[in-house]
Amino acid sequence: MIDFFNSNLVLVQATLAGLVLALSVQVPLRMGVFSFAGAGSYGLGGYAAALLVIHLELNAFEAIGLTMLITAFVGLLLGLVISRLNGLYLAMATVAFDLIISVVAINGGTFTGESTGLYGVIVDFTTTQMFILTLVALVLVALSERGRVGRRSQAVRDDQQLAASAGVNVRRYRLMAFVVSGALGGLAGAMNVMVRTTIGPLDIGFGLIVLALTMIIVGGAMSWKGAVLGAIIFTWLPHFLDFIGEWQNLVYGIIVALAAIFLPRGIHGVIVDIIRSVQRKRRGTLDKPAPDPSDDAGPEELLPTSSGAPSSPPQQPVPGGAAATQLARGAKS
Amino acid sequence: MQELLSAISLGSIYLLFSLGMSLTWGTIDVLNFAHGAIFMFSTFCAYLILGTTALPFVAVLGIGVVVGAALSLIIQIGAFEPILKRARNKRSAEMQILIGGIGIATIPLAIAQQHTKSNPFGLAGSSFHVTVWHLGSSRITNVAVFTIFAGLVLWGVIAWWLRYSKQGLALRSIGVDAETASLMGINRRRLALLTMAVSGGLAGLAGVLFTYSTSAITPESGDTLLIKAFAIIILGGVGSMAGVIFGAYALAAVETVVLTYTSGSWVDAVAFGLIFLVLLARPAGVFGRKEVRRA
Repeated sequence: MIDFFNSNLVLVQATLAGLVLALSVQVPLRMGVFSFAGAGSYGLGGYAAALLVIHLELNAFEAIGLTMLITAFVGLLLGLVISRLNGLYLAMATVAFDLIISVVAINGGTFTGESTGLYGVIVDFTTTQMFILTLVALVLVALSERGRVGRRSQAVRDDQQLAASAGVNVRRYRLMAFVVSGALGGLAGAMNVMVRTTIGPLDIGFGLIVLALTMIIVGGAMSWKGAVLGAIIFTWLPHFLDFIGEWQNLVYGIIVALAAIFLPRGIHGVIVDIIRSVQRKRRGTLDKPAPDPSDDAGPEELLPTSSGAPSSPPQQPVPGGAAATQLARGAKS
Repeated sequence: MQELLSAISLGSIYLLFSLGMSLTWGTIDVLNFAHGAIFMFSTFCAYLILGTTALPFVAVLGIGVVVGAALSLIIQIGAFEPILKRARNKRSAEMQILIGGIGIATIPLAIAQQHTKSNPFGLAGSSFHVTVWHLGSSRITNVAVFTIFAGLVLWGVIAWWLRYSKQGLALRSIGVDAETASLMGINRRRLALLTMAVSGGLAGLAGVLFTYSTSAITPESGDTLLIKAFAIIILGGVGSMAGVIFGAYALAAVETVVLTYTSGSWVDAVAFGLIFLVLLARPAGVFGRKEVRRA
């Protein structure tokens, strides 16, 4: 296992950075805030971390912490400015934000290294540390999908007026989406530049939005499990499918288009549907031969996640979790 | 004077490109993110055909328009119609169309990048040659003159059609309330296909004319133009024909000024900054009607 990870270190790192980037776009989407600002925060975070390491010679964790503060603050400012927009207008304003970051990167003179970018970002940052940070971010995002916060953000997504009338501070939740997205994007960008040691304008353009969307649309937009699935699939697919080689982008485009059209809830959504229908069938067959619904067995069967917190809202079983725990096991051993 | 002429010819390209986008967005609620890819790919097809035979100007324009319209129809039938059929509500449909468009746009981009190795390609293979005319101290090409002419005429025709023809009225009524429009006997599907075909044809035309005037484009040039068109549309106001023509020439004018007085590529930031300014100061745009949107 260790050999496997050592020989595929670059891919593992790319998976982790991609996952956090995907989360930074997914968190606002899940709260009904149609923002792609995470991609801009990734670019901002990458450059900020690089500059902090090069000029101030901070160590990895100081640089990451400071970068996340900066990108979260920029996220907050952006949110304050545009959170009253909705739907497509909000989406396009955030696309404009992302592209402004790249224009600044290209025209920043020696400060940002113009079209060659910055290099020599050498700092003591291991893949294990990267993994731990990613895991922490992932757990926090996963927790935010449960309990009170999870229910409220779902309400804000589905119907803002209704949520507001039920006493949810909609504006605060929407601003939070911007801040969290900024922090996650900054984390992803900072971690990536620290393991790659370089960053350039080509790494942060429009393609980044497409990449993040690809991961979460194909994986599943409504749960962190979808982001995990998407990040793993799109980092490892080209590795296993050598024959698609130079046609990689074409295959990706087709996959994304098909997923957006026919599987709007992504692979995660399909798995959830399958599990649900299997359970329903099993429940049906169980009910018929043994028509004595004892009170002990009843509620347990109705709750698919008996392992999860019983007080949480109806949560589906964890298909993406399997991949995540596998990844976790791999790095620990 | 030279700056004015280049601003007007650049603005006419913007006009042709964003006219189609504004038409589909303002009427059938399709913000087509593949519009830039159609622009690029129609030109790319013309470039491929010119590799085998040298065709005259009109034929190249024809290829651009036909390929653009065909691509647009394929996208509408293959992607946007199924999305609209499956979507739960208007908001999720809008979002899925946007994401689907982004996904689809990568397909022609990948094909063109693969074939040209991401190098710029042009239309030098045609039998038509760009000539420069002198107007006093300033110069203008025959392509630029044609572009200005085509932009204004097509804008006029479409604005007239939308305003005064029966089909235009039907189309506008879909934009206001699609369901009621259907109840009034309007064939939404047919009109949507027509609108998408017109929009794609305009993108193809813009692509060929732009490539003639700059001599080459890169496969990625559609993306930048797409964001610029978005800036133009919201500056003018979604669905407003007066808004499109105002936005196109205003953006071209500002960009020309910025290009003249700054170095580097700051000019690209103009459109992005403009999006922010307009959305904050006047979200409905200069000529936009007040948006009526039910929850």
